[in-house]
Amino acid sequence: MKTKRILSLVSSFVLPLAFGTMIYILWQTEILHRIIGADTVTLPLPSRIGEIIGANSQSIAEHTKITLKVAVGGLLAGSILGYLIAVVAAVFRKWGAGGLALVSAFNAIPIVALAPVVNNWTRDMSGEVDIRSTAAKIIVVTIFCTASMSVNAYRGLTELKPFSEDLMKSYAAPKIVVFAKLRLPNSLPYVFTALRVSVPSSVIGALVAEYFAEDTVGVGRQIRENIVKGQYPTAWAYIAVACLIGIAMFVLLTIVERIVLKNRRRT
Amino acid sequence: MDERTEIMLDNIGMTYKTNDGRDVTALTSVTLDIRKGEFISLLGPSGCGKTTLLRIIADLLTPTQGNISVGGETPRQARLKQRYGIVFQSAVLYDWRTVRKNVMLPLEIMHVPKEERIDRADKMLELVGLSDFANHFPGQLSGGMQQRVGIARALAIRPEILLMDEPFSALDEFTREKLHDDLLRIWRKTNKTVVFVTHNISEAVYLSDRVCVLSPHPGRLSAVVDIDLPRPRTAQLKSTPEFTALVAKVRSSFEGV
Amino acid sequence: MKIKKFFSSQKFIVFVWVLGIAVIWEIFAFIVAATKRTPVNVLPHLWQIIEAFFSDKKVSGKMTMAELIGTACQETLLRAAIGFAIGTVLGYLLALLMNLSRIVEKIAFPYLMLIQMIPILGMAPIILSITGDINTSRIVIAAILTFYPVSANTLAGFKAVEQEKCELMYSYASSRFQLYTKTLIPSCIPYFFTGLKISAPMAITASILVDTLQGGNGLGCMLSQSLKGGMTRLVFWDIVLISAIIGILSYQVMGLIEKLICPYKRTKKAD
Repeated sequence: MKTKRILSLVSSFVLPLAFGTMIYILWQTEILHRIIGADTVTLPLPSRIGEIIGANSQSIAEHTKITLKVAVGGLLAGSILGYLIAVVAAVFRKWGAGGLALVSAFNAIPIVALAPVVNNWTRDMSGEVDIRSTAAKIIVVTIFCTASMSVNAYRGLTELKPFSEDLMKSYAAPKIVVFAKLRLPNSLPYVFTALRVSVPSSVIGALVAEYFAEDTVGVGRQIRENIVKGQYPTAWAYIAVACLIGIAMFVLLTIVERIVLKNRRRT
Repeated sequence: MDERTEIMLDNIGMTYKTNDGRDVTALTSVTLDIRKGEFISLLGPSGCGKTTLLRIIADLLTPTQGNISVGGETPRQARLKQRYGIVFQSAVLYDWRTVRKNVMLPLEIMHVPKEERIDRADKMLELVGLSDFANHFPGQLSGGMQQRVGIARALAIRPEILLMDEPFSALDEFTREKLHDDLLRIWRKTNKTVVFVTHNISEAVYLSDRVCVLSPHPGRLSAVVDIDLPRPRTAQLKSTPEFTALVAKVRSSFEGV
Repeated sequence: MKIKKFFSSQKFIVFVWVLGIAVIWEIFAFIVAATKRTPVNVLPHLWQIIEAFFSDKKVSGKMTMAELIGTACQETLLRAAIGFAIGTVLGYLLALLMNLSRIVEKIAFPYLMLIQMIPILGMAPIILSITGDINTSRIVIAAILTFYPVSANTLAGFKAVEQEKCELMYSYASSRFQLYTKTLIPSCIPYFFTGLKISAPMAITASILVDTLQGGNGLGCMLSQSLKGGMTRLVFWDIVLISAIIGILSYQVMGLIEKLICPYKRTKKAD
């Protein structure tokens, strides 16, 4: 029986790894190019991409820092804002529910419409391009991340197990105590549900916001700039970095979630 | 094997490993002969293995020890020949099908021709008293009614054996008592062998010909009590001294509880 | 009584919110008009935007605003729809395969997680250069973005089927095909639609984004052209408004389709 379980666990790793290796080989040997009809200019070999990453590690690190600042800054601001909106909606229940329906509609607005609009708003904020653009980018990411958090946090604050509110009532607990001891802890798993969506969104938002920004820094912008200049391997280097950023942040989120929600019962 | 035996259980045992490698014995040395057409209950508290035993009969589980035969065949063969109807604790109806179509589900799987399907389904719905609701959706029915649809569906394939896993435990007492009488009426009419799992002593005594008392840790058959109350059984029976005595007898047969 | 009921209904509340937002917009527009040099660039009045949409003035070449946006919409949305359809079909098939075969599930699962974590929208420029053609790349990106939510949600739908439903089918000695067609596939419809509702606006966003990277006639192209001064700034604002409306509508349309396909009430578990 035990060998069966070990085999099952091992195959969960080995099989996808084997598949990935196969794709890598297809790519490096250019068979992949023939399949999808690309050429080695627009789709450089992985070895070439690796070279470029090594050669440019300094500037790559710079741009990564900038993009991370925007992504994380917007994520934090959006999450806090979203949570506050959820709290207000939970307090003013009737109006809150309707307002939240609208907020989730915001999610459906294409980010491409958002970014230029925000850019214009921040135009007169400051004389320096640097500060203007960063502010604009962070605002875009903030808006992008707010909806998911507010909808989920609202659910977390209001969908309580049956009778738990009644229990609090029987203790004659004031509303603020009910909030702190019941609603807040109850909402934590929902916060993480929201983060699982908004963390990747924050990265996407940062990259797309960079396309429309005034300044030309950041991983996303570099992808575009290098393509425009025809320097494909460099562009791909930045694409690889963008993917790594997304993966790293998500893995970090998973670790934090495990720690914070350590002993909770799985519903 | 006796001609009248429908299900024969010989020294059935069920042991399985938990996630941390320990051995758990759900059932041990259960030997029992279930006769054709009898109404038999498997009664016991949680953890006594009664549901495990039912699932072994239904071929949803394979016992780790012992032999079992159903009408001379293995449970698997019996299942493939659609000789069982199962009713679970919750009705397990399909939200997207009407009541009638829910009852027709097993018949579709068995490729019964369409007119016969509809005919049989309607007959079953009449038997459980839900003809007026044939075109309703499960969401519009109460818990008791949903469970009756579940029974109709189990009977639709005309099985020889009806297996019921605590079918009424999720319902309130009034609904339950009404369903007891409905079930007995249906059983009288159709002459099936019924294996009924429950944790309610008076329910087991009221419905059955024999009550198999199972005790936990490890799950085992402690006693088989004959219920020689007259049939047809009526609600007044529950206040007679004979009934009370049988309930007491069954209760005292439990070990280690 | 009826009037009171109307005032506390959900629809009325949403209506009040929309009105509230419009009022706030207008207030800001007035502030902006008083303080900025070119208010149109920052925040024009709502009525300015709406008026421009319906006016007969020629905005670009021979087309009025409405005509311009109309043709741009066609070009962008058609490709988004095609990509959406392709992504839906592929996503559904993958979920099906993953449920049918443990091996496929084990191989695909980590990659599916990866797609969730990777900023695909950020890769729009490179997909454009690989395919070289703006229409193809609109379709490809919309398809990729639709693929993940549809397959993840559909797979969750398959896994959420109660154990007892499968055991019932087992007790009827049903074939695997019957199990899928009668039980698993109908059960996962609500989850499937959740995936569709998430990905419909994203597919549209993707298509518009690709537009902005290259010249042409799509919504995004008009957007960037207007931004750079090629056309009056109101084109930009009208497109922003229209794409927001289309995004929201696509979500609602999916919900409507779901209501059409599944008119029955879903029973709640707690009884």
